[in-house]
Amino acid sequence: MGDGRAGGSNRPAWLQHYELLGKIGEGTYGLVFLARLKPTHPQAAGRRGSPIAIKKFKQSKEGDGVSPTAIREIMLLREINHENVVKLVNVHINHADMSLYLAFDYAEHDLYEVIRHHREKLNLPINQYSVKSLLWQLLNGLNYLHSNWIIHRDLKPSNILVMGEGEEHGIIKIADFGLARIYQAPLKPLSDNGVVVTIWYRAPELLLGAKHYTSAVDMWAVGCIFAELLTLKPLFQGVEAKATPNPFQLDQLDKIFKVLGHPTVEKWPTLANLPCWLNDQQHIQGHKYENTGLHTIVHLPQKSPAFDLLSKMLEYDPRKRITAAQALEHEYFRLEPLPGRNALVPSQSGEKAVQYPIRPVDGSTDFEGTTSLQPTQPPSGNVPPGNQPVPRPHPRQMQQPMGSMPRMPAGANMGAFGPVPQPGMVGMNPGNIPMQRGAGGQSHPHQLRRKADQGMGMQNPGYPQQKRRF
Amino acid sequence: MSDFQTSTHRERWIFQPHDLMDKWAAANQRSAETLAQYGTTRLKVDPVDGSISYPEPAPDHVVGSSSVKPLSCEEEQLMRVFYEQKIQEVCAAFKFPHKIQATAIIYFKRFYLQWSVMEHHPKHIMLTCVYSSCKVEENHVSAEELGKGIQQDHQIILNNEMIVLKSLDFDLIVYAPYRPIEGFIDDMDGFCKAGNGAHQRLKELHQTANSHVDKMMLTDAPLLYSPGQLALAALSKSNDMHQVLNFERYLGSVFSRQKSNCPVEQFVQTINAINYLVDQLQIPTLKDMRHADRKLKHCLDPSSHDEHKKKEKKSKHKSKRAASDAQLGANDDDLSRCIWRGSENGVAGGSNDESIVVYFDGQSSTAMTGLV
Repeated sequence: MGDGRAGGSNRPAWLQHYELLGKIGEGTYGLVFLARLKPTHPQAAGRRGSPIAIKKFKQSKEGDGVSPTAIREIMLLREINHENVVKLVNVHINHADMSLYLAFDYAEHDLYEVIRHHREKLNLPINQYSVKSLLWQLLNGLNYLHSNWIIHRDLKPSNILVMGEGEEHGIIKIADFGLARIYQAPLKPLSDNGVVVTIWYRAPELLLGAKHYTSAVDMWAVGCIFAELLTLKPLFQGVEAKATPNPFQLDQLDKIFKVLGHPTVEKWPTLANLPCWLNDQQHIQGHKYENTGLHTIVHLPQKSPAFDLLSKMLEYDPRKRITAAQALEHEYFRLEPLPGRNALVPSQSGEKAVQYPIRPVDGSTDFEGTTSLQPTQPPSGNVPPGNQPVPRPHPRQMQQPMGSMPRMPAGANMGAFGPVPQPGMVGMNPGNIPMQRGAGGQSHPHQLRRKADQGMGMQNPGYPQQKRRF
Repeated sequence: MSDFQTSTHRERWIFQPHDLMDKWAAANQRSAETLAQYGTTRLKVDPVDGSISYPEPAPDHVVGSSSVKPLSCEEEQLMRVFYEQKIQEVCAAFKFPHKIQATAIIYFKRFYLQWSVMEHHPKHIMLTCVYSSCKVEENHVSAEELGKGIQQDHQIILNNEMIVLKSLDFDLIVYAPYRPIEGFIDDMDGFCKAGNGAHQRLKELHQTANSHVDKMMLTDAPLLYSPGQLALAALSKSNDMHQVLNFERYLGSVFSRQKSNCPVEQFVQTINAINYLVDQLQIPTLKDMRHADRKLKHCLDPSSHDEHKKKEKKSKHKSKRAASDAQLGANDDDLSRCIWRGSENGVAGGSNDESIVVYFDGQSSTAMTGLV
């Protein structure tokens, strides 16, 4: 923080408390950086050098200030404190482009990468202990959220982080609260927020146009994730019909019905009230599905506790679907191997721990997202402590503008969504921006950025993606 | 969040009365010093980068020479109450749900624990508080819509967004007493064992309690007490009027069920203290406001002080024109003259109906009559 604006390389004071290591992800609403706390940081005591993921939010859209996504994420995370939920360490403002930077404890892994590593590199299933521990911790965090009336609404493997080596090694952190909201006494129907949950993990009531929904939508997603942990493949890989305001997604429903059978009003009484079921434009009511059987897909005996739990998570009727609290009490978690704190490394076992790859870091990008990293930063002057504004009775700038910098063009990385993934794409996901890493692999909703504009959908017909509308 | 117990609201934003006095005095003092030093108090929010800067001293300014007087703490208080009430009017004109209004007022109160009204004009901050409240409560209204509906430049709303969020320290989830009132009413339904017409009487109790809370929101009570305490105070007061139940017995039943150690008598004192604040509440009269607003205007813009004397003579004629003058842009230099219109449906319709919802004019008394 200096006097006035001295040239174009000015930076906000807070920025100088971080040592930037590079960019580790990006999405439509911003970029994610990996940084370390410098000893000068007001919160550095006892955590010097801790890795921090910094998620930069751009302004929402032209002329409407801070994005609702950022607001949701900040306001919920400020109130939340749980071992299995990502920890928001700080919020910073860059006045130069009116962007917000959210600083999180860094997590080296996420379930998307863990699953991919097993599928593509190891060609081995994830061991039972890890599956159970990961699932238990996910439910534990979710139970905390739900008991505080928070629905996450965007659970998927890439949003579930796993801590790397260190004191919290192997602990799950639920991340990305950009779609999360409180569902206690909403002022408007939840459906007003538009489509939620990436399509492969989207609950049937959402696909059929429910106006009101509950935390059960998160439990459906957990069921899908559980199956994916077991088989290393997404359970219901439907193709999203885009550019339609209608929540109805025939292909996704088709994928679900093929595995779980046709839903009936007998088993799911409120089904009859769901708009898309009711008007039945695609004649889904009359379609007959063979029940191929979930058990054959996940390779579990139908009488096993694991299968029992999974099928209760994938219950059609949201009112009958198992809750996070009930799931934590399920027999599955009382049988050997018992779930543990370090989900990646069993405490006593002869097995060798799997070495998961670390996130690639693009060191050529600076905090603003411009590509040439400036190694020198102007020395910092007076620094306001903490977050409180410190008004000073002096004629000076309180915040230093960072000068003009090119903004990331919207959709700069659209290429990554195309049929030919770009090798070497940098990515990771501490704040959980969907992205694609590495080459090859199937098209996957994780890789697809949520794009507000409809044009994006047109470029990628057939690819599932999540839309956010506000 | 449903859990007030673990909230930032409870942890960081419930104060003792002397905390509030200290904070207000400190902001007032700082601003008075700035005025003495630079001849003006206004902090500028840069429309381009949102940064805040302190005033440039006027070239001819001699430290300590200013003839402009700073607002007193009492006058600041007056202005805050006035604009808090304006928040209620704006929200009512837009037909926003009740919670929006309460959240916006709590933001406004928290903001001015850190800043003097001489540093950031409350007229601007109140709009940004309403705007932010809508975002947080998932009742999104664009700045443009909001600005249009009350004929204000929406850019001002946006320019202040970051400073407001930062001043709130990003603690954006706040608890209003309306929900706890609902809860207690449900509970009373059981307590009363639903006798003859009890349902209807509880409904009346509920409505009156809500309007007590509306008044309560204009006092310091939301910064001093929990929403549950505020709710019970409002219900107690409402029950005084409707006599639906024996309130002390009801409190006793609530506390025994919660295994609370708080004696009912002590809680009754809390209730009385809250209701005392409400009884003491005085909505500033226009006359009160004229004086304070003129001072504020001079603090923010000292050059207006000299012009003021010349204008004073002509103002009688001019003010009549101001009343019919819906175009605000013409008076950019005259900050305090503004007429904010709200159209019928609450959003901008450009209709010229007479439902002027927010109006304040430091100069023209004619235009104010019957509108505020």
